[in-house]
Amino acid sequence: METIAVYWEPRIKTYGFQRITDLALIEFSYPLSDIKNLGEIFSKDDFKILRPKFIISHVMHHEISFIVCLPLKEGKDFHASLKKASCATPCKYIHPVSILFFHGPHFGDRYGIADATFSSLSKAGMKILASGCSSASVFLVLAQHDIDKAEEILSETFEVAK
Amino acid sequence: MEKLKIGGLKQSLQLCQFDLRGVHSSKEIASKVSKLLLDQKINMEFLTYYQNKDSYHQLTFCISQDRFSATSKIIQKEGFLPVGWEIKSRKQVGIITIFPHQSAIKIVGIIMVSWTAHSIPIYGIATSLSALSFVTDYPLIGKAIEVIQALFQLPEDHSPLKPEIRYIQSDIVKGD
Repeated sequence: METIAVYWEPRIKTYGFQRITDLALIEFSYPLSDIKNLGEIFSKDDFKILRPKFIISHVMHHEISFIVCLPLKEGKDFHASLKKASCATPCKYIHPVSILFFHGPHFGDRYGIADATFSSLSKAGMKILASGCSSASVFLVLAQHDIDKAEEILSETFEVAK
Repeated sequence: MEKLKIGGLKQSLQLCQFDLRGVHSSKEIASKVSKLLLDQKINMEFLTYYQNKDSYHQLTFCISQDRFSATSKIIQKEGFLPVGWEIKSRKQVGIITIFPHQSAIKIVGIIMVSWTAHSIPIYGIATSLSALSFVTDYPLIGKAIEVIQALFQLPEDHSPLKPEIRYIQSDIVKGD
């Protein structure tokens, strides 16, 4: 079935912004040829207790890279476990970082949401460390000290439901 | 052994994927690409972005498969991307989204092991509040779902896996 929708909001609506603070960002890469080995490490029960707030992964140059945000204590332990994994490239560990995330009634159905997000933050000179947009939601990882300013800018760009 | 419980599972329509990677540029790449897609009225179904200030920036995005050629042409046009940036594109990908209750890292690990055993690739992963999305080859998406269904316990009243409606934003804009 094909549905053609005609709908355009003057300002894109969101249900509001939510944040998660005091996180560590861990980035590492692993050879694609050994992806099964990495999967086995992740499958261990030691990692079952971890509550990641953000995961993205991309593939390039025969490597799979992961960017994971965890609460500071869990991040430290995860980082230490990964250091023991022989094939992983040196990890990057950044802290403290925060996540700002939001979704709206038409996210997923329309274009322009990524542009509204990235362009407004870029114009204001804000640096996004990482981002993941899937399942009609936008997740932004920023340095902790940037989170207030980022929310302020996005609140001017998007219409927040009252 | 008891299967891990997940809250649900769904698959996307046919998409295509672009991976852009390069060193730092003066113009924010996520902003530049999202502006291009806005101008073309293209909805992004999936996006991941990461900037490692010491080595590389990478932007990965998935859009509807029927926009592959047009988007590819613009991105590859000389001068669109900063010098030295590379592009990798995949013509037919799909997204499988899992709604886990917990243990996201363990679920990622289990899927990595099982898909590798069935030669099913992973081209990207992203989490949202309660979901884990995996990008894989569209022709293998049925097989990928079968593998997941065998690994995890799904609720009995599970909603349909495949999307039944495709939304297209019309060019006509009607005022209030």
